[in-house]
Amino acid sequence: MSEYLAPDAQLPYCRGCGHASVVRQLSRALERLQLPPRSVVLTTDIGCVGLADSLFPYLHTVHTTHGRSTAFATGIALADVLFEQGNLKPVVMIGDGGAMIGLIHLVHAAQLNVDVTVLVHNNFLFGMTGGQHSALTPVEFVTATTPAGNYTPPLDLVALLRAAHAGFLARKFATDADLDALIAEAIAYPGFAMVEILELCTAYGTRWNQLTGSKLKEIAALQGYAIGKPETSLERPTFREMIRHQQHNSHAPPPTQPAMLPHVEGATLTTELRLVVAGSAGERVQSAAGLLAKAALAAGLYATQKNDNPVTQGTGFSLSEICLSPEPIEYTGMDSPDVVIVVSADGLKELTANGTLARSRADTLVVMDAKLDAPAMPGRLVKLPLRRRATPQRAALAALAAWQALAPVVPPAAWDAVLGAMPSDRREDLAEALRIGQQLAGSPSD
Amino acid sequence: MARRLCSGNRMVAEGALAAGCRFFAGYPITPASEIYEVMMRELLGRGGLALSAPDEISSLCYCVGASLRGLKAMTATSGPGWALMIETFQYALMTETPVVIALVARLGPSTGGATQGAQGDVWLAEFATSGGYTVPIFSPSTAVECFELTMHAFNWSERLRTPVLLLSDKEVGMTTEVVDDEALAAPPIVERARFAEDGKFRTYGFAELEAVPAFAEVGGEAKVAVTGSAHDQEGRLRKNAPEVIEVLKHLQRKIEAHAEEMALARTDLEAGSPRLLISYGITARAARQAVADLRRGGMRVSFLQPQTLFPIPRGTLDWALAGVETVFVAEENLTGQYRAVLAPYLGGRQVVGINKIGALISPAEIVQAVRAEEAR
Repeated sequence: MSEYLAPDAQLPYCRGCGHASVVRQLSRALERLQLPPRSVVLTTDIGCVGLADSLFPYLHTVHTTHGRSTAFATGIALADVLFEQGNLKPVVMIGDGGAMIGLIHLVHAAQLNVDVTVLVHNNFLFGMTGGQHSALTPVEFVTATTPAGNYTPPLDLVALLRAAHAGFLARKFATDADLDALIAEAIAYPGFAMVEILELCTAYGTRWNQLTGSKLKEIAALQGYAIGKPETSLERPTFREMIRHQQHNSHAPPPTQPAMLPHVEGATLTTELRLVVAGSAGERVQSAAGLLAKAALAAGLYATQKNDNPVTQGTGFSLSEICLSPEPIEYTGMDSPDVVIVVSADGLKELTANGTLARSRADTLVVMDAKLDAPAMPGRLVKLPLRRRATPQRAALAALAAWQALAPVVPPAAWDAVLGAMPSDRREDLAEALRIGQQLAGSPSD
Repeated sequence: MARRLCSGNRMVAEGALAAGCRFFAGYPITPASEIYEVMMRELLGRGGLALSAPDEISSLCYCVGASLRGLKAMTATSGPGWALMIETFQYALMTETPVVIALVARLGPSTGGATQGAQGDVWLAEFATSGGYTVPIFSPSTAVECFELTMHAFNWSERLRTPVLLLSDKEVGMTTEVVDDEALAAPPIVERARFAEDGKFRTYGFAELEAVPAFAEVGGEAKVAVTGSAHDQEGRLRKNAPEVIEVLKHLQRKIEAHAEEMALARTDLEAGSPRLLISYGITARAARQAVADLRRGGMRVSFLQPQTLFPIPRGTLDWALAGVETVFVAEENLTGQYRAVLAPYLGGRQVVGINKIGALISPAEIVQAVRAEEAR
């Protein structure tokens, strides 16, 4: 007696339906392999094909949403690699309709080469819903939705999954006596395997088409489909092998906590301060702002930082909004900035467009590169030759240092602490930017 | 003090790791990508597995598959990706599969504004199931809350065998702020109750409607029958069987029965205050500041920040409502999504919405709205 297909199973399929044959052949394939029933997960899709669960009482079964059975089976197989004794064999039963709506899942499972076997029951149409056309319907085939015959060429799943580097691909007829041997071979394959099984749908396929077993073979020949000869590429590493390799090569995760900054006394900030620094992408604007936030952190202050840039990331403006406070910071909006720093034309354009400059107050300090044309605004303007004296890459940090020289908030020792925590090859460059900024503050007209 | 600068997204990832997350599948989307990136960098080295999926549908399917195999799993996305995940989310709910989805909201509809914050996904997150089942949603307002509520999300997901959402937004997720590690309140880790390997296993077996079925993983000794179709307690597809209806009622009852236990909130109540300000997520930050400003101006006002948005924390709400005549609800969306959901539980009190889209609601705007109401 079979440990797989229930011996008294009443197969719920129409007379002559290919699904019945596949179910029996799958059971025989599992017998050939002598797989422990609990090491097999039968993952079934929506459609008549999805009725197979109840026929296999000893296998794990996962009955899924339409087209997703491959993806759920893949998730199970992916997780299985984390188990020392993991040796699960997910088998997916899906129709041509499910293969179409879930095509991306087949493609990705093939790329991953996960140990999943997909049996695509291709009867050229959607059976359970009334015989509608699918992406695998042959040309001239009559379905409920192609009453005059299908005119779009069918998708060649084998060719498509070959392009996705599938390890094992084959086509068979449901009636082939040796289908069980081929299914067994597919399941035994340690990576992704797909078998496309050509079938008759006796409810709709044969009703509207002159379709018999021999006619089915003609259709297959017409598409140029090779039958029964699996193509394998066993030399491809399986997902399990690839992940073992990754695990072997993966370095210890980076520490969750960055290097702790020493605590520095001397912060003079008594109320919240809101600052915007704006410049151009690629000119280290946001990283300069990040250093300020870190210096504030070292000085025992609270800080928030929000960055913004165009969606293209590498062009146009780049800005950071910083809040500093001796108390925890709640609201992080920049309704009324205390300090605005503009280091390039891109930055000026953005701060004009987003209204930051217009929202400045009479006591807002606006530090701007000397070459920029400042628009009319309430803020108090200080122009400095930032891009001339510092380089564009250093301009933002130099501007922050200049502002700090004019209106200290964070003690110099806090900047030293931040620089001390930076990689040594970056330190000198940053120190130079800070020095230039301090000098600029001393002689702004220079 | 172990103080450091951290984004909300980073703290979601750290919360997941601290909760025992072993599997992550993701797909890039602003403003949630950092969670995906951190998990890709750090999970493998900690004995887990993180994977790039070809789309959000696959991301969640992989997570559900991994959870069925027995691993704690999470994905992260934003509105457009969530829209794609809803099919699989319902499957997780129906199959009682624990999984956590971090939904970092951005301005919608459609692709909307990728780098703009918003609280417009409350309805889309909560009311995404056919049948309207209650989905637990936790909503953090700070990086610290991102850490803690992600842990709670995992704990409740595992304990109740249900998908749980962590709903933050761009402003919470992508803003860096100071986190004091020593002040993090990490709850004890909860594991899903496992089938004890004696007696007959039923995939969806429960004695009372509110009980949570013991879990057995796919691949284990107990035969598991998972299905997203209407089923009995053994996971058999059944039509018109009274037991199927019982199973459906059970899906709702097991959540409702734990509503009060799940209720997390930050409260700042002022005895005898006729006003209650309610806010959550990013806007709760402005609200806390507004409350301080209003009190400084001599106005009495109570404040409630539900961190558990759903199930609605009814007990906490009733407690906060004592003596209150007017309820203000501040949230960054156009139509007052959470206000509308709360309305039936506010006992006929006057309800005032404070709403805005496209930018943060400021403390000044909340103060102004409250004062304007008082002046009427």
